[in-house]
Amino acid sequence: MSDPVLIIGAGVAGLTAAVELADSGVNTIVVEKLPTVGGNALDLYKAFPTDDCFYCFEGNRWRPGIRKCFYRSALIDQPNMDLKINSYVEQITGNSGKFEATIHVGPEYIDAKKCIMCGLCIEYSSAFSLVSPQCQPQAVTYDPDKADEGDKKAVEECPTKAINLDAQPKKETVSVSDVVIATGYHEMKPVNVDEYSYGKHPNIVTQLELAQILDPIGATDGKLLRPSDGKPAKRVMMVQCVGSRDENYYPYCSKICCVYALKHANILTEERDASQVSVVYMDIRTYDSHERYYREARENGVEFVRGRVARVEPKDENELDIIVYDSLLDKYLKFTVDLFVLSSALEPPEGMDNIIDSLGLNVASGFIAPADLVSENEVVAGDHIYACGTALGPAEVPESVTQARAVASKILQNRK
Amino acid sequence: MPSYNLYMGCSVPANYPNYEAAMLKVAKELGMELEYMEGVACCGSPNLRAIDFMGWLTVNARTIAIAEKNGHDIVTPCNGCFASLKDVYHHLKHDDAHKKQVNAVLKKEGLEFKGISKPRHFVEALYSDIGIEEIQKKITKPLDGVGIAIHYGCHVLRPKDVTEFSPEIYQELVKVTGATVIDYPLWKQCCGATVLPVNEELAIRLARDKLKSMTEAGAVFATVACPACGNQLDLQQLGLKESYGEEYNLPVLLYPQILGLAMGMDEDDVGLSMNRVPAGSIIEHLTE
Amino acid sequence: MTEADEKDGPPVVLVDPIDMSKLDSEFRNEIKSMPYGDELNACFACSTCTAACPIANVWTYKPHQLIRMIILGMREEVLSSDEIWLCLTCFQCQERCPQKVRVTDIFFDCKNLAAEESKIPETIVGLAKTLMEKGQLYEVTADWEREDMDLEPAVPGLSTNEFKDIIKATRTGKIVGGEE
Repeated sequence: MSDPVLIIGAGVAGLTAAVELADSGVNTIVVEKLPTVGGNALDLYKAFPTDDCFYCFEGNRWRPGIRKCFYRSALIDQPNMDLKINSYVEQITGNSGKFEATIHVGPEYIDAKKCIMCGLCIEYSSAFSLVSPQCQPQAVTYDPDKADEGDKKAVEECPTKAINLDAQPKKETVSVSDVVIATGYHEMKPVNVDEYSYGKHPNIVTQLELAQILDPIGATDGKLLRPSDGKPAKRVMMVQCVGSRDENYYPYCSKICCVYALKHANILTEERDASQVSVVYMDIRTYDSHERYYREARENGVEFVRGRVARVEPKDENELDIIVYDSLLDKYLKFTVDLFVLSSALEPPEGMDNIIDSLGLNVASGFIAPADLVSENEVVAGDHIYACGTALGPAEVPESVTQARAVASKILQNRK
Repeated sequence: MPSYNLYMGCSVPANYPNYEAAMLKVAKELGMELEYMEGVACCGSPNLRAIDFMGWLTVNARTIAIAEKNGHDIVTPCNGCFASLKDVYHHLKHDDAHKKQVNAVLKKEGLEFKGISKPRHFVEALYSDIGIEEIQKKITKPLDGVGIAIHYGCHVLRPKDVTEFSPEIYQELVKVTGATVIDYPLWKQCCGATVLPVNEELAIRLARDKLKSMTEAGAVFATVACPACGNQLDLQQLGLKESYGEEYNLPVLLYPQILGLAMGMDEDDVGLSMNRVPAGSIIEHLTE
Repeated sequence: MTEADEKDGPPVVLVDPIDMSKLDSEFRNEIKSMPYGDELNACFACSTCTAACPIANVWTYKPHQLIRMIILGMREEVLSSDEIWLCLTCFQCQERCPQKVRVTDIFFDCKNLAAEESKIPETIVGLAKTLMEKGQLYEVTADWEREDMDLEPAVPGLSTNEFKDIIKATRTGKIVGGEE
């Protein structure tokens, strides 16, 4: 029997590759650094172009599941998938279909098979928490850095005895035939772009942070509220190209920010009763049929300002004055807003350099570049090494899925 | 004990002897050896750069070349001088043709620009070479947390790839004296000094906006580390009553004055009486 | 040229366009060849420079428009503009430019070109005179103030002749002493 395939990252791309391979009879080991699968997609309230999650497509409905736990049935039912959460790959040696990977597997404080998510432990100690009701595996998590007096009580009272605070991390060395890098992206925290004052006022957020505010299972139950005082946010301004197309940060266009800003602008005006939504842009890039979001936004009364932000001046703890230069009008406009949303660049995740260096891969602006650009096999990063999703650069969900399926296809062809 | 070539420029000696003296005293206490450079004159200012790029390159390259005779870095208390010297240093390091051209002129004096002695602002040298920890040890009369707004000055902050200066440097230096740094919306804005010769009204307006922004944010004092910025914020304040009907009464101190006082010097040591807007009230904020 | 072109009076249609063939298409290359013009062509007209400028609202031509004019070849308008001399040189436009166009530095280049053609505000010519005659912008006049602070009355190490000699031989000499 062939060695399993190692998949790094359990977001949309990684899990798609894992499920497709597993369903085709290939053993997979999925290494995820966080306590739950789903990656950035877990935080999206609605993903374009379907305005829902990819795996809730009609075509995928044969797999029972609810929104945001699209992989649940695969993870529970599919014996060919070995998911390691709280884990990371320390080292990969070997080549050409014969790799040895050393995996640091985080301590299993909570036995996910036993945990019933009753929440009792969370009442006793703040070290326990539930990342999301839709988290996968379905279990609470434990953070040893927050350990306190209540821990012992939680262990004793746990009705299913699912907690083991003596759990230790372990090192596992596995032989794998292929490596799939699906480490995703990170949304830049624009603290250094000082003209936008991010981090200096609670009502200045990024688009991903706005998505969490809009999420019905989030902290505000999906209500559009000002982080500062929890009062409704009626006036919202978004600004595009924060750190993208900017030689001082990231030279590339992050590709999906225009569309998700428009998507959010539409949600705000159609579903959240925002009275004033403005988008400050230098170009709106709604490629392909995504142009419909732009048209819809204009119909919804979203104000588009062609220009750049001159200054952000907090009026008080809750409101911000934003002065914008409108280059079409050649005038300065002042807006008073409750929420200022930055469409921040999508950047390579931490540790990407190490993976690229240690495997000797090509690099493009910090992301993985194809081994052979002219071959048009964009998912092939090396000999038996593949990349998919935003590990290759900013991408939308369907693109990530398509790439993941291309990876699965390549691996299956090689095994014939 | 770090040694430096001290480049005074023309404005500090002529207009701000209190700045010069306070800087020398503070430096001595902290073990910085500052030696006045021999045979140097003006940096030419951005005005010379605007009309006579080669002349500006050459005079500043000459200053750097003189410093390179002993190899020590150059420090200056003036943002304008710093900008000229550092910009020329940066440019000549990246432009061989201009370097050759300039060196051909300097050769007549037996000088050569090599790019060894780095031009630095006094406050940056204080921060990087002495360090907050060592400065802290010398603070005997810390300020009582009184709010001070920093006017950094455009020419130390930007262009960052040339100046290599960050606002944190100045913030840390103010905090170590016991003061609180006041954030104000117009912290990045220019004092207006550069347009003073071509549009005085505009220059004064810029200074006024800055003072208004600082005061409204709750600053009790302001600090600068540049004679031109000092001129705009301190001296011009006196005329605002007439031009704008506004009085800010915001004392503007040169940074070494604040540091000197917190290190236990008295007001005469730092020439407090020479500040245009009376600054004596800072004494009340010193603690034992 | 046809006869109709030579006729004076209002154009046949209301829109009176700038005739591109009459502009100086080499101007952008001229700026590009100067010390800070490398990235000029990278401008994608986002207007960040104007948003960053603290005084653009009093300018007839905004910073992004000046860059646009350079790229189009409006040499005469740029070099005769007041704006290049009103620039604060605060570098906020340049610092925020997402395409690393050295906007402030390019305005310095423009001023040098204007100076070469003697298009310099009178007050700046005055400063040039001061620099050439005195070797510095400010001279110590109140030496008692220095003595009060225990400083030498004269600035130690000051020597202005070399400075004067250098700028006499460069453009400053031409600007100040044209008639000499």
